[in-house]
Amino acid sequence: MREIFLVFLPTVTIVITAVVAALSMRRISVSALEGMTRQPEVAGQLFTSMLVSMALIEALVIYCLIVALMLAGKID
Amino acid sequence: MPQAIAHNLPYITIFNFLLVCIILTILAVILSKDGFKEVPGERQNIAEFCLDWFFDKASDMGVSSTKTVVAFLASLFFVILFCNLLLILPLSPFNIPPTSYYSVPLALALCSIFGTIIVTGVYRGSLNAVKHLFWPNPLQLISEAGHILSLSLRLFGNIGGEYAVSIQVLKVAPYGIPVVIHLIGLIPVFIQAFVFTLLTSTFVAGAIHHEETKTSKA
Repeated sequence: MREIFLVFLPTVTIVITAVVAALSMRRISVSALEGMTRQPEVAGQLFTSMLVSMALIEALVIYCLIVALMLAGKID
Repeated sequence: MPQAIAHNLPYITIFNFLLVCIILTILAVILSKDGFKEVPGERQNIAEFCLDWFFDKASDMGVSSTKTVVAFLASLFFVILFCNLLLILPLSPFNIPPTSYYSVPLALALCSIFGTIIVTGVYRGSLNAVKHLFWPNPLQLISEAGHILSLSLRLFGNIGGEYAVSIQVLKVAPYGIPVVIHLIGLIPVFIQAFVFTLLTSTFVAGAIHHEETKTSKA
Protein backbone atom coordinates (compact mmCIF):
# COMPACT_ATOMS: atom_id res chain seq x y z
CA MET A 1 0.00 0.00 0.00
CA ARG A 2 2.84 2.37 0.92
CA GLU A 3 4.57 1.63 -2.39
CA ILE A 4 1.42 2.44 -4.33
CA PHE A 5 1.11 5.76 -2.53
CA LEU A 6 4.78 6.55 -3.16
CA VAL A 7 4.35 5.96 -6.88
CA PHE A 8 0.97 7.67 -7.06
CA LEU A 9 1.68 10.80 -5.00
CA PRO A 10 4.56 12.32 -7.04
CA THR A 11 2.58 11.81 -10.25
CA VAL A 12 -0.53 13.47 -8.86
CA THR A 13 1.53 16.32 -7.37
CA ILE A 14 3.27 17.16 -10.60
CA VAL A 15 0.20 16.68 -12.85
CA ILE A 16 -2.05 18.95 -10.79
CA THR A 17 0.56 21.71 -10.47
CA ALA A 18 1.46 21.51 -14.16
CA VAL A 19 -2.18 21.84 -15.23
CA VAL A 20 -2.90 24.74 -12.86
CA ALA A 21 0.34 26.51 -13.81
CA ALA A 22 -0.37 26.07 -17.53
CA LEU A 23 -3.81 27.63 -17.08
CA SER A 24 -2.39 30.56 -15.09
CA MET A 25 0.40 31.11 -17.62
CA ARG A 26 -2.14 31.06 -20.43
CA ARG A 27 -4.04 33.81 -18.69
CA ILE A 28 -0.88 35.89 -18.22
CA SER A 29 0.29 35.51 -21.80
CA VAL A 30 -3.18 36.24 -23.25
CA SER A 31 -3.46 39.46 -21.22
CA ALA A 32 0.12 40.51 -22.04
CA LEU A 33 -0.29 39.83 -25.77
CA GLU A 34 -3.58 41.74 -25.83
CA GLY A 35 -1.86 44.67 -24.14
CA MET A 36 1.08 44.48 -26.55
CA THR A 37 -1.16 44.54 -29.62
CA ARG A 38 -3.24 47.41 -28.24
CA GLN A 39 -0.21 49.46 -27.21
CA PRO A 40 2.92 48.37 -29.09
CA GLU A 41 4.91 51.27 -27.60
CA VAL A 42 4.91 49.62 -24.14
CA ALA A 43 5.51 46.12 -25.51
CA GLY A 44 9.01 45.94 -23.99
CA GLN A 45 7.84 46.79 -20.49
CA LEU A 46 4.88 44.39 -20.77
CA PHE A 47 7.20 41.60 -21.91
CA THR A 48 9.45 42.13 -18.88
CA SER A 49 6.50 42.10 -16.48
CA MET A 50 5.11 39.02 -18.21
CA LEU A 51 8.39 37.16 -17.71
CA VAL A 52 8.54 38.09 -14.02
CA SER A 53 4.95 36.94 -13.42
CA MET A 54 5.57 33.70 -15.26
CA ALA A 55 8.75 33.12 -13.25
CA LEU A 56 6.81 33.52 -10.00
CA ILE A 57 4.26 30.90 -11.09
CA GLU A 58 7.00 28.65 -12.39
CA ALA A 59 8.72 28.73 -9.00
CA LEU A 60 5.67 27.06 -7.42
CA VAL A 61 5.77 24.29 -10.02
CA ILE A 62 9.46 23.77 -9.33
CA TYR A 63 8.80 23.50 -5.58
CA CYS A 64 6.30 20.73 -6.37
CA LEU A 65 8.83 19.12 -8.74
CA ILE A 66 11.41 19.02 -5.95
CA VAL A 67 8.84 17.52 -3.54
CA ALA A 68 7.85 14.98 -6.20
CA LEU A 69 11.50 14.07 -6.80
CA MET A 70 12.08 13.65 -3.07
CA LEU A 71 9.04 11.38 -2.85
CA ALA A 72 10.18 9.46 -5.93
CA GLY A 73 13.58 8.99 -4.30
CA LYS A 74 11.92 7.02 -1.49
CA ILE A 75 10.68 4.29 -3.85
CA ASP A 76 12.79 1.17 -3.42
CA MET B 1 18.33 14.83 -10.33
CA PRO B 2 18.02 13.76 -6.67
CA GLN B 3 21.71 12.78 -6.89
CA ALA B 4 22.46 16.35 -7.92
CA ILE B 5 20.97 17.57 -4.63
CA ALA B 6 22.41 14.87 -2.39
CA HIS B 7 25.96 14.47 -3.65
CA ASN B 8 28.89 16.79 -3.19
CA LEU B 9 29.87 19.17 -5.94
CA PRO B 10 31.95 17.26 -8.51
CA TYR B 11 35.34 18.71 -9.45
CA ILE B 12 34.36 19.14 -13.09
CA THR B 13 31.57 21.56 -12.04
CA ILE B 14 34.03 23.69 -10.09
CA PHE B 15 36.39 23.58 -13.07
CA ASN B 16 33.57 24.61 -15.43
CA PHE B 17 32.61 27.51 -13.16
CA LEU B 18 36.23 28.70 -13.09
CA LEU B 19 36.34 28.31 -16.87
CA VAL B 20 33.29 30.58 -17.19
CA CYS B 21 34.94 33.16 -14.90
CA ILE B 22 38.16 33.07 -16.97
CA ILE B 23 36.22 33.44 -20.25
CA LEU B 24 34.28 36.41 -18.83
CA THR B 25 37.47 38.06 -17.57
CA ILE B 26 39.16 37.64 -20.96
CA LEU B 27 36.05 39.04 -22.72
CA ALA B 28 35.97 42.04 -20.37
CA VAL B 29 39.69 42.71 -20.98
CA ILE B 30 39.25 42.45 -24.77
CA LEU B 31 36.17 44.72 -24.80
CA SER B 32 37.74 47.40 -22.61
CA LYS B 33 41.26 47.19 -24.10
CA ASP B 34 41.23 50.45 -26.06
CA GLY B 35 39.59 52.49 -23.31
CA PHE B 36 36.81 55.03 -23.81
CA LYS B 37 36.82 57.01 -27.08
CA GLU B 38 34.59 59.81 -28.35
CA VAL B 39 34.06 57.98 -31.65
CA PRO B 40 33.43 54.38 -30.57
CA GLY B 41 35.04 51.46 -32.38
CA GLU B 42 33.54 48.00 -32.86
CA ARG B 43 34.43 46.67 -29.41
CA GLN B 44 33.30 49.80 -27.58
CA ASN B 45 30.00 49.64 -29.51
CA ILE B 46 29.37 46.07 -28.27
CA ALA B 47 30.25 46.99 -24.67
CA GLU B 48 28.08 50.12 -24.76
CA PHE B 49 25.15 48.20 -26.26
CA CYS B 50 25.29 45.66 -23.40
CA LEU B 51 25.56 48.37 -20.74
CA ASP B 52 22.72 50.43 -22.26
CA TRP B 53 20.48 47.36 -22.26
CA PHE B 54 21.14 46.85 -18.55
CA PHE B 55 20.58 50.52 -17.75
CA ASP B 56 17.24 50.37 -19.64
CA LYS B 57 16.09 47.20 -17.86
CA ALA B 58 17.19 48.50 -14.47
CA SER B 59 15.30 51.77 -14.97
CA ASP B 60 12.25 49.76 -16.19
CA MET B 61 12.25 47.88 -12.88
CA GLY B 62 12.48 51.12 -10.91
CA VAL B 63 16.14 50.93 -9.90
CA SER B 64 17.83 54.31 -9.93
CA SER B 65 20.33 53.65 -12.74
CA THR B 66 23.50 53.91 -10.76
CA LYS B 67 26.77 52.40 -11.82
CA THR B 68 27.15 50.02 -8.84
CA VAL B 69 23.68 48.48 -9.24
CA VAL B 70 24.07 47.95 -13.00
CA ALA B 71 27.55 46.45 -12.58
CA PHE B 72 26.20 44.06 -9.93
CA LEU B 73 23.23 43.02 -12.09
CA ALA B 74 25.30 42.69 -15.27
CA SER B 75 27.93 40.50 -13.61
CA LEU B 76 25.22 38.22 -12.17
CA PHE B 77 23.53 38.00 -15.58
CA PHE B 78 26.67 37.12 -17.53
CA VAL B 79 27.91 34.56 -15.00
CA ILE B 80 24.54 32.76 -15.05
CA LEU B 81 24.17 33.05 -18.84
CA PHE B 82 27.61 31.61 -19.57
CA CYS B 83 27.18 28.86 -16.95
CA ASN B 84 23.90 27.88 -18.62
CA LEU B 85 25.35 28.14 -22.12
CA LEU B 86 27.86 25.37 -21.33
CA LEU B 87 24.84 23.05 -21.78
CA ILE B 88 25.04 23.36 -25.57
CA LEU B 89 28.77 22.65 -25.88
CA PRO B 90 29.43 19.43 -27.79
CA LEU B 91 32.55 18.61 -25.70
CA SER B 92 31.68 15.90 -23.18
CA PRO B 93 33.20 16.89 -19.80
CA PHE B 94 32.65 20.62 -20.34
CA ASN B 95 28.96 20.43 -21.17
CA ILE B 96 27.87 19.95 -17.55
CA PRO B 97 26.40 23.35 -16.61
CA PRO B 98 27.49 24.31 -13.07
CA THR B 99 23.96 25.63 -12.43
CA SER B 100 22.55 22.09 -12.74
CA TYR B 101 24.05 21.32 -9.29
CA TYR B 102 22.14 22.88 -6.41
CA SER B 103 25.20 24.33 -4.67
CA VAL B 104 25.93 26.80 -7.50
CA PRO B 105 22.43 28.37 -7.79
CA LEU B 106 22.31 28.54 -3.99
CA ALA B 107 25.63 30.41 -3.93
CA LEU B 108 24.39 32.76 -6.67
CA ALA B 109 21.13 33.40 -4.80
CA LEU B 110 23.11 34.15 -1.62
CA CYS B 111 25.28 36.57 -3.64
CA SER B 112 22.11 38.19 -4.98
CA ILE B 113 20.48 38.69 -1.55
CA PHE B 114 23.65 39.75 0.28
CA GLY B 115 24.56 41.96 -2.70
CA THR B 116 21.15 43.62 -2.36
CA ILE B 117 21.83 44.31 1.32
CA ILE B 118 25.32 45.69 0.51
CA VAL B 119 23.99 47.92 -2.32
CA THR B 120 21.27 49.23 0.01
CA GLY B 121 23.98 49.86 2.60
CA VAL B 122 26.08 51.80 0.08
CA TYR B 123 23.21 54.09 -0.92
CA ARG B 124 21.16 54.37 2.28
CA GLY B 125 23.65 53.67 5.03
CA SER B 126 24.46 50.38 6.73
CA LEU B 127 21.97 50.94 9.57
CA ASN B 128 19.10 51.33 7.10
CA ALA B 129 20.21 48.21 5.23
CA VAL B 130 20.06 46.14 8.42
CA LYS B 131 16.80 47.81 9.44
CA HIS B 132 15.28 46.79 6.09
CA LEU B 133 15.66 43.14 7.15
CA PHE B 134 13.46 43.66 10.23
CA TRP B 135 10.88 46.07 8.84
CA PRO B 136 7.84 46.11 9.31
CA ASN B 137 8.39 43.07 11.59
CA PRO B 138 11.12 40.46 12.17
CA LEU B 139 9.19 38.02 9.92
CA GLN B 140 10.75 39.94 7.01
CA LEU B 141 13.91 37.93 7.71
CA ILE B 142 12.02 34.72 6.85
CA SER B 143 10.84 36.37 3.64
CA GLU B 144 14.47 37.07 2.70
CA ALA B 145 15.30 33.39 3.35
CA GLY B 146 12.34 32.51 1.12
CA HIS B 147 13.78 34.72 -1.62
CA ILE B 148 17.07 32.79 -1.45
CA LEU B 149 15.23 29.47 -1.70
CA SER B 150 12.94 30.55 -4.53
CA LEU B 151 15.74 32.12 -6.61
CA SER B 152 18.04 29.13 -6.25
CA LEU B 153 15.37 26.46 -6.74
CA ARG B 154 14.01 28.18 -9.85
CA LEU B 155 17.40 28.33 -11.55
CA PHE B 156 18.36 24.82 -10.43
CA GLY B 157 15.00 23.31 -11.44
CA ASN B 158 15.05 24.80 -14.90
CA ILE B 159 18.65 24.17 -15.87
CA GLY B 160 18.90 20.84 -14.02
CA GLY B 161 15.69 19.72 -15.73
CA GLU B 162 16.98 20.87 -19.11
CA TYR B 163 20.25 19.01 -18.57
CA ALA B 164 18.45 15.83 -17.44
CA VAL B 165 16.19 15.95 -20.52
CA SER B 166 19.13 16.47 -22.89
CA ILE B 167 20.98 13.52 -21.32
CA GLN B 168 17.91 11.26 -21.69
CA VAL B 169 17.39 12.34 -25.32
CA LEU B 170 21.08 11.70 -26.02
CA LYS B 171 20.67 8.16 -24.69
CA VAL B 172 17.64 7.44 -26.91
CA ALA B 173 18.74 9.25 -30.09
CA PRO B 174 22.45 10.13 -30.16
CA TYR B 175 22.46 11.83 -33.60
CA GLY B 176 20.43 14.70 -35.09
CA ILE B 177 17.63 15.15 -32.53
CA PRO B 178 19.88 16.52 -29.71
CA VAL B 179 20.69 19.49 -31.99
CA VAL B 180 16.99 20.41 -32.09
CA ILE B 181 16.67 19.91 -28.32
CA HIS B 182 19.69 22.18 -27.75
CA LEU B 183 18.27 24.84 -30.07
CA ILE B 184 14.96 24.82 -28.14
CA GLY B 185 16.99 24.76 -24.90
CA LEU B 186 18.58 28.10 -25.80
CA ILE B 187 15.31 29.85 -24.85
CA PRO B 188 15.17 28.82 -21.14
CA VAL B 189 18.95 29.28 -20.89
CA PHE B 190 18.58 32.96 -21.73
CA ILE B 191 15.24 33.49 -19.96
CA GLN B 192 16.44 32.00 -16.66
CA ALA B 193 19.50 34.27 -16.57
CA PHE B 194 17.24 37.21 -17.42
CA VAL B 195 14.61 36.31 -14.81
CA PHE B 196 17.24 35.87 -12.07
CA THR B 197 18.64 39.32 -12.87
CA LEU B 198 15.17 40.88 -13.07
CA LEU B 199 14.12 39.49 -9.71
CA THR B 200 17.38 40.68 -8.14
CA SER B 201 16.75 44.13 -9.61
CA THR B 202 13.23 44.15 -8.13
CA PHE B 203 14.70 43.27 -4.71
CA VAL B 204 17.28 46.06 -5.06
CA ALA B 205 14.62 48.52 -6.24
CA GLY B 206 12.32 47.49 -3.37
CA ALA B 207 15.03 47.89 -0.74
CA ILE B 208 16.31 51.25 -2.02
CA HIS B 209 12.84 52.63 -2.72
CA HIS B 210 11.60 51.55 0.70
CA GLU B 211 14.47 53.40 2.36
CA GLU B 212 13.89 56.42 0.09
CA THR B 213 10.22 56.70 1.06
CA LYS B 214 11.09 56.31 4.73
CA THR B 215 13.68 59.11 4.58
CA SER B 216 11.36 61.40 2.56
CA LYS B 217 8.54 60.87 5.10
CA ALA B 218 10.91 61.73 7.92
